[in-house]
Amino acid sequence: MSMVTSSSYLESLLQGQPQLPPSPLAWFNQLRASAVDRAGTLKLPTTRDEDWRFTDISPLAKLSFQPARAVSTLQAADVEGFYLDEAAIRLVFVDGAYMPQFSTQPDKARDLGLTVTDLSSTAVSSHGTVIEPHLGRHAGFQDNLFAALNTAFLHDGALVVAPRNAAVDAPVHVLFIATQPEVASHPRCLLIAESGSAVTIVEDYVTLQEGAYVTNAVTEIVLEGNAQVNHVRIQRDSPQAFHIGHCAVSLAHASRYRSVSVALGARISRYDLNARLAAEGAECAIDGLALISGRQLADTHTCIDHAQPNGISRQLHKCIVDGAAHAVFNGKIMVRSGAQCTDSTQSSRNLLLSAKARVDTKPQLEIFADDVKCAHGATVGQLDIEELFYLKSRGLSEIAARNLLTYAFGAEIIDRIPVASLKQRLERTVFEQTKRS
Amino acid sequence: MSAVLQNLVNQPYKHGFVTEIESDIAPKGLNEDIIRLISTKKNEPAWLLDFRLKAYEQWLKMEEPKWPNVKYPKIDFQAISYYSAPKPKKKLNSMDEVDPELLRTFEKLGVPMHERAALAGVAVDVIFDSVSVATTYKQKLAEVGIIFCSISEAVQMYPELVKQYLGTVVPVGDNYYAALNSAVFTDGTFCFIPKGVKCPMDLSTYFRINTEESGQFERTLIIGEEGSSVSYLEGCTAPKFDTNQLHAAVVELVALDNADIKYSTVQNWYAGDENGLGGIYNFVTKRGLAKGVNSRISWTQVETGSAITWKYPSCILQGENSVGEFYSVAVTNHYQQADTGTKMIHIGKNTRSTIVSKGISAGHSNNSYRGLVRIAPTAAGARNYSQCDSMLIGDKCGAHTFPYIQVRNQQAKVEHEASTSKIGEDQLFYFAQRGIGNEEAVSMIINGFCKDVFQQLPMEFAVEATKLLEFKLEGSVG
Repeated sequence: MSMVTSSSYLESLLQGQPQLPPSPLAWFNQLRASAVDRAGTLKLPTTRDEDWRFTDISPLAKLSFQPARAVSTLQAADVEGFYLDEAAIRLVFVDGAYMPQFSTQPDKARDLGLTVTDLSSTAVSSHGTVIEPHLGRHAGFQDNLFAALNTAFLHDGALVVAPRNAAVDAPVHVLFIATQPEVASHPRCLLIAESGSAVTIVEDYVTLQEGAYVTNAVTEIVLEGNAQVNHVRIQRDSPQAFHIGHCAVSLAHASRYRSVSVALGARISRYDLNARLAAEGAECAIDGLALISGRQLADTHTCIDHAQPNGISRQLHKCIVDGAAHAVFNGKIMVRSGAQCTDSTQSSRNLLLSAKARVDTKPQLEIFADDVKCAHGATVGQLDIEELFYLKSRGLSEIAARNLLTYAFGAEIIDRIPVASLKQRLERTVFEQTKRS
Repeated sequence: MSAVLQNLVNQPYKHGFVTEIESDIAPKGLNEDIIRLISTKKNEPAWLLDFRLKAYEQWLKMEEPKWPNVKYPKIDFQAISYYSAPKPKKKLNSMDEVDPELLRTFEKLGVPMHERAALAGVAVDVIFDSVSVATTYKQKLAEVGIIFCSISEAVQMYPELVKQYLGTVVPVGDNYYAALNSAVFTDGTFCFIPKGVKCPMDLSTYFRINTEESGQFERTLIIGEEGSSVSYLEGCTAPKFDTNQLHAAVVELVALDNADIKYSTVQNWYAGDENGLGGIYNFVTKRGLAKGVNSRISWTQVETGSAITWKYPSCILQGENSVGEFYSVAVTNHYQQADTGTKMIHIGKNTRSTIVSKGISAGHSNNSYRGLVRIAPTAAGARNYSQCDSMLIGDKCGAHTFPYIQVRNQQAKVEHEASTSKIGEDQLFYFAQRGIGNEEAVSMIINGFCKDVFQQLPMEFAVEATKLLEFKLEGSVG
């Protein structure tokens, strides 16, 4: 992209930022201001940047996106379909703005022993000391334009705090709904799992329209010692949308982070997940599925950073690519000097369903310690002819056999979602999508 | 720089500064005149000069690549002298005059007696009649019509052949160092295997008659015509001491229908001392074009030397059913850095490639595998299998894996796996239990680790390579 477009384009991206109401917390305003400064100096990445080599986001710059306007017409009936039965607590954001009328009351969370609230509310001021060391500290924006923009627009957002030793089975559902075309929204989540706590969060991006819009999300997850977090992230944006997601996870001693991310929607989607195993004995399992067709592009970049000894990480990323879609995966495993006895495996599996489908995958290992067990693997292929034959010999039609195998390929990831109703819903989506192709 | 030379260099080309130059070293620096000087000195045809100038023009516009995972101070390309006529080495009269350190190394590597002499620079005819050996070889090759000579000789004798193929696999502007090489290369190897000929022996630079110091910008071109086959050996296990710090070679292989080219390298150049001072920068572009149907190109490399190794022997699999192979062992110790791997570009239908890479890092070294497997939309039924294993010895070194996999064809099947491991205490214990000491145990384990690659080497090389590894890693395992 040329320099000419980028400077004026960036100005347009920051449009509306100055209108944000200031927070009573000085550091909060300070953080926002430094992000604005930083965003002004960064450029939109191009395919000449190694991290964006296969993902050309120049179409994004061709559209002008406005900050979202406040909406009032939305009825509960419009959004109820997205609710999860199991979720005891729900936070709903429409085009980035918090919707208390659709969200559960903070009291309900308090009864369960959690703090779940909107970042802009007065409740945050009372939690200032809890969130100050974390907000904007894990998802760095020094070299990341999108994280800088998100932080510059920091206003509404989800805050989940699981206090010491609190264990809540029911998931916290954070629902982001897009209703307006040609707007940019900057969803933000911060989850702090204090020592010994256990919590499940479902980050859900959905749409009520088919237009083009930008979702630029940032999530920060902090696990203190022995904490456990289940993180489910579902991206079901409109087929015209651009979705840029960034998630930074920090794991303390013996904590356990499990994540399943599923990308179904968006014309161009990009998800960056950085997990830092910052203390001994931390463990993470990071799984992903991209199911795309048409002219969609789904790009997942993960970095699992083993900074301390005895860490364990598992990763399985799958892509099902149909039509002229393009899947990108870059999975980096870093084992720093001193992170002895690290045990890490990573696997990238890709299924190509059509002649025009395209996959670029790069599992990457960087190891600076000698007593480690690290392995990664990548495969790209089509449905196995023998497996098809097996099913057909048992009376399934060619199409049914193909659908079944494709479904089974994706179901391995969906199976790992710990929320039953969501699992069923996704399984149905996958099944329908495979049937269509 | 002498005043005479200065004048000569600054002269316009046409009025021939050709004949009168007395000195055999060109002034330092790189410019068009130097390139013209090289070309004139070597009495090259006009097209080759054009080739060089075109490369130079492109090189000027290029930037040094920053992406490799290696660090080194900036190279001053104007401080290098790009042409020096081969100087005869000082001949020694007997093995007694050879540096005992070098002899000790030969002993350890098990280099055959006659080779030791040649490598140490002893006048070979004193020891044994290598000239006659070489002559027999040359006769044998000539009988079947194989051309095997230095590239400057080939330019004079077979200009059409060289013109037809030079720069077709690695274009002049391919990358920074390839462009530099194309502009200033002074010598190298040319090999042509005619239609249907199976080369009766392994070809090696060692047996090339009139072997000259190839210098730092070596150019190799090997052409296998329809149905031919050849195995080419480059380098040797003996340590090579060289005063040139930067080496930027280009190797091009062309395999026509049903041709089979096997290229093996053992590289043990000076790697710098244990504190990382000195050592050679080995920035090489090696690429094979499997142009014809059923053609096959196979790279095998054992990289143990050089302060920095930066090379990706690649295969362009253009012909239907063509096969590309890459077998590599890269060992780094002390402060060495290696960024090596391969590219397999599948273009033709049913093309197949295999990648087996073994990296061993010790000391403070860094060892990276960087590979690309690209399946073009045309490569229906393409198949790739890659395996890259790393072993770390000590906790100050690093191992990195960067495999790029790009698939544009649904019918392709690509598999990649990589693992990292160390020599386990339990393994050593097992050996100790059976009366095998630590050093020996480690060497056996490493041998087993590299077996898949060593098997691909010609026999004598394999034996020497095994010992070479042992020698390289001496003392690095507790």
